Amino acid sequence: MDQLRFDRIRRAASPLELDLVESFAQGRITRRQFINRGVVLGLSMPTIAAVIAACGQTPAATPGATGASAAPSASDGASAPPATEGGVIRVAIQRPAGPLDPVGMQDLGSYGIVAQSFEFLCTLNSAGDDIAPGLAESWEPNEDGSVWTFKLRSGVKWQDGSDFTAEDVVATMARLAAAGNAGLKGVIDEQSAVVTDPTTVTFNLLSPNGNFPYLVSVFNAQSVITPVAMESGMTSDEVKNGTGAWKLDSYDQATGATFSRNEAWWGGRTPLDGVEFTFFDEIGPMVTAYQGGQIDAIVQFDVLSGEALFNDPNFSIIATRTALHRQIWMRVDTGQFADKRVRQALAYTFDREAMVQQLFRGRADIGNDHVIAPIYPYFDESVPQRNRDVERAKALLAEAGVPSLNAVLHAGELLEIPDLAVLIKSGAAEAGINLEVAVESLDTFYGAQWCPGEPAEPPCSGAAELGIVDYGHRATPDVYLNAALKSNGIWNSSQYMNPEFDAAFAEFQAAVGVDAQKAACKKIQTILNEDVPIGVPYFYNYLAGNSNQFTGVYSSALGQMFFSSASKVA
Amino acid sequence: MTSAVTPAPVPEPVPTVTPGRSERAQARVETIRLLLRKPGFLIGNAIVLFWLFCAVFGEAVAPHDPFNDFFAGHQAPSPEHLFGTDRLGRDVLSRVMVGARDVLIAAPIAALIGVVVGTLLGLVMGYYQGFIDDVLSRIVEAFLALPVIMVALLTLVVLGSSTVVVVLVVGILFTPIVARTVRSAVLAERQLDYVTAAKLRGESGPFIMVREIFPNILPPIVVELTVRIGYAIFTVATLSFLGVGIQPPSPDWGLQVAEEYNNMIAGIWWPTLFPALAIATTVVAVNLIADALQSVASE
Amino acid sequence: MARFLLRRLVLSLITLWLLATIVFVIANVLPTDVGRTILGPFAPQESVDALNERLGTNDPILEQYARSMGNLLTLNFGESFASKQPVGPLLAAAILRSLKLAALALLITIPISIAAGLFAARRRDTKWDRGVVLLGLTSASIPEFVTGTILVVVVGVQLKLLPVLATPPRDADPLTEIRYLLMPATAMAIVYFGYIARMTRAGTIEVLQSDYIRTATMKGLTTGQVIRRHVLRNALIPTVAVIGVQIGYLFGGIIGVEKIFNYNGMGQLMLFAAQRKDIPVLQAGAIVVGVVYMAATLLADLIIAWMNPRARASLAR
Repeated sequence: MDQLRFDRIRRAASPLELDLVESFAQGRITRRQFINRGVVLGLSMPTIAAVIAACGQTPAATPGATGASAAPSASDGASAPPATEGGVIRVAIQRPAGPLDPVGMQDLGSYGIVAQSFEFLCTLNSAGDDIAPGLAESWEPNEDGSVWTFKLRSGVKWQDGSDFTAEDVVATMARLAAAGNAGLKGVIDEQSAVVTDPTTVTFNLLSPNGNFPYLVSVFNAQSVITPVAMESGMTSDEVKNGTGAWKLDSYDQATGATFSRNEAWWGGRTPLDGVEFTFFDEIGPMVTAYQGGQIDAIVQFDVLSGEALFNDPNFSIIATRTALHRQIWMRVDTGQFADKRVRQALAYTFDREAMVQQLFRGRADIGNDHVIAPIYPYFDESVPQRNRDVERAKALLAEAGVPSLNAVLHAGELLEIPDLAVLIKSGAAEAGINLEVAVESLDTFYGAQWCPGEPAEPPCSGAAELGIVDYGHRATPDVYLNAALKSNGIWNSSQYMNPEFDAAFAEFQAAVGVDAQKAACKKIQTILNEDVPIGVPYFYNYLAGNSNQFTGVYSSALGQMFFSSASKVA
Repeated sequence: MTSAVTPAPVPEPVPTVTPGRSERAQARVETIRLLLRKPGFLIGNAIVLFWLFCAVFGEAVAPHDPFNDFFAGHQAPSPEHLFGTDRLGRDVLSRVMVGARDVLIAAPIAALIGVVVGTLLGLVMGYYQGFIDDVLSRIVEAFLALPVIMVALLTLVVLGSSTVVVVLVVGILFTPIVARTVRSAVLAERQLDYVTAAKLRGESGPFIMVREIFPNILPPIVVELTVRIGYAIFTVATLSFLGVGIQPPSPDWGLQVAEEYNNMIAGIWWPTLFPALAIATTVVAVNLIADALQSVASE
Repeated sequence: MARFLLRRLVLSLITLWLLATIVFVIANVLPTDVGRTILGPFAPQESVDALNERLGTNDPILEQYARSMGNLLTLNFGESFASKQPVGPLLAAAILRSLKLAALALLITIPISIAAGLFAARRRDTKWDRGVVLLGLTSASIPEFVTGTILVVVVGVQLKLLPVLATPPRDADPLTEIRYLLMPATAMAIVYFGYIARMTRAGTIEVLQSDYIRTATMKGLTTGQVIRRHVLRNALIPTVAVIGVQIGYLFGGIIGVEKIFNYNGMGQLMLFAAQRKDIPVLQAGAIVVGVVYMAATLLADLIIAWMNPRARASLAR
């Protein structure tokens, strides 16, 4: 390691940055994690490269050119097969649930359409796994991460011709805070964002937050920056505007939406002339349409409906590792699973590797009965993995004085969940746990089994004793920990209440450095793995993809696909 | 839904007086003799019996455990797995064999509910006519104006899907169709002498309906029941395909098709084709029986 | 004739009112939280309450009933709960697409099935006849979704003869549109083939046995002449009745077909409205389907009257 160069960087770094640099220097985080975290904290690319060089690695091999593609340009595709100028890409996307209200939207279909015209302070890197500068050119926190300053890109214009300014950002943030945006709630209020100068916005957070840039990024889909004049509830399919690479030409809830190139885009001229979205209500027909040559790209598909795509040599799959997972909750307060050993026994019957193979054809990470997904930089790999062990399960049941057990496993009718229930039932039978699978419509399932409205206090105390619930991808695990596992959490259907866990979670939230976060996560992982209020068999990949006729397409795990640097192969 | 088209009721043969018991028994023997000479009737029964056997003994005779034996997923048909394996690696042949169970319980019960309630309604409407008939006819017509599948979908979404609800909903939706058929059969009967005679004897309305008219319209009702069973299978399978019928993890045929039809495009046709063929053979078989019954009844 | 029409019209209106009431009752049997259903379980309670307030789903049930009936009377179908768009245009676009699909299906199936029915009737009790009867029985028994998927695999994916989706590209000419609709229409046509062919066959056989046909044959007319001059008109009466009834029921089978081919007609609209408990769309959709059914049966009655002098006379009375 080049100590001299390294020290120079250290002296210039803020405490948060310093912590990150040290974590990397000592090998506690990988290079990839270092780059990603560095971007979050607002380190410049030269600094990141310098640190990597100082640590004796070659920065040239930086994966995915993270963050460097601040202005996505056609040069990205230059190394790939020869690309042509022009053409339209036809994309299959899930039908938006309603008019495109950027503040109120809740579904991946709306996210995907809105993100074509409107942009975020922090956009997605081209590897699709982390953030990169978007409308904000750079950002930096104060010492404890309670004040963040975002430097905005200058010369950006709205599609209606007016200038993009800090006023727009402040107005957007005020609208989001007023609407109680799930990601920003408790982090900012209506007064938090202030204009420092026309191209600088300062956020005075309600409490320190080392992950703040994620909350104003592509990972918080509602945080697209909209003009000052926009009102909450106003829909962007009627008032067509935005700063992004694509202008909305037409929008029809029944069929689809068309976009054409925004010639005045700050990022340069897009290789493609336009993007044409077709709306689908299910994944099966999307696959059919691709096979029939009627569409070129699919915004999201699942393994069970998209098997055809895996076997198709002309289809490039964009698989993104995520924190998408299922929780098999077990009531810890009453019923047959109140004894910790019974819960452990059920978890020991999961054949996790077989599940990943059967349900995802291998495209998933194995879970260890906690919600810290392996993709998080603060995931601690030292906590031992629980594997299938029928003898152990039987022994635990005998110890608990439960030679055999009959229970109903509730599951919602969603994607692979009914199949997962079947696999759990089959695996548990050998250990003498007899499960009856009850699959219900999502409506009934959420309302009657997972988190019934009555009794209201504590939340979810009317939940069934055993069930499987779905959780979407989050850039940080806070929501999972806060809602599903903390005492009195709003989605705590296992009724798990453990002061020790609550303390570890508080420690995680207060921690701003990677080291501290990882230490807190180790505690969280250990406690959850031991107590098993929820079983987590896997974290599966988000799958999108496009025909080989196009290159340079990338995708988030939230339905947003980016085409600004995509081009048609000659 | 196509299930609306009911064969026209067959009022003939028209006895002018109530046939005696021994005559009826004799007629029954004759009917059976005629039926046994119809190849359609024999083939239909053979197929139905085969599926009934599978429904009852499926797990015992299936080559693999249809629920807990997991092999490699989506293997093409081979000597080891004659019908291939499904997405989770379960043996499709074994699942098709036990998949008969739900639909073969649900469909006949649904048809029976429809025919019993529909017959009662039809008797009342046809016998009393007038105001009761007018009101009931309007309600029946309102129901008939909506496709069975569409109303069933609506109801099942609201009530939540379970096999019991599916049976009840399909049964109730068949009621107006049966009622209309029975009503017109009763209309033809009530002008006949034996009904007039019973009225003159001072018999009560319910007595005449049940003891006099009903035995004489039994043949078309039996035909109707068989036809309804065919449509019930068709309807239950379609509802399962639309996601509101029989619920997973049942190996029900319609459900198997719904769960796997996307994969046909990838060339994985076996988990869809075999349950689909099972549905087809069963409905065709039931219709063959209905067809034979109908032609015997009208001979 | 005018009295007959008036009576039919009044009865149809009463039936429609009953229909609307039935749908309203079904949709309101269980107290469901419409706002929660639309926004999903992860939405904040405040937005759910606000949405319920805006939609008026918390009002007393009779008030909601009166409002919904009043709206139907003024042809104001209200606003979709789920997509917040007015129901009228949504429905108009969907019904137009479904009518195109249904029309094509009937266009395919009517001539073929009538021809098959006549063919079988003239060869009564031969193996040809039994073949047609068996084919009709089989094709009418297999649900549309099964036929549809088999067609997709064979014709769309393996042979690549036809597009696998029913929605044509924007601004497609009518011929292209027909090409896109051909496969789903065929899936539906196959089911109706069975009904229409069997009905035509039965009607023809009945007429062929009647005395006046025997007379015509004895007069020395060829079978073809007899069929053209005397049989067709009478034999097709039950067939027309079946077709009339079928049009209403086409919409049941259309759900499965539209699902497979991702065609945004009434079927898809109703399926997704049902899943989202979008009551205004469901109610308006049911009424529209009811109107189509009644119009079709009325039309069939009129055609029958035109074809059959005896029925015409009774209608005129």
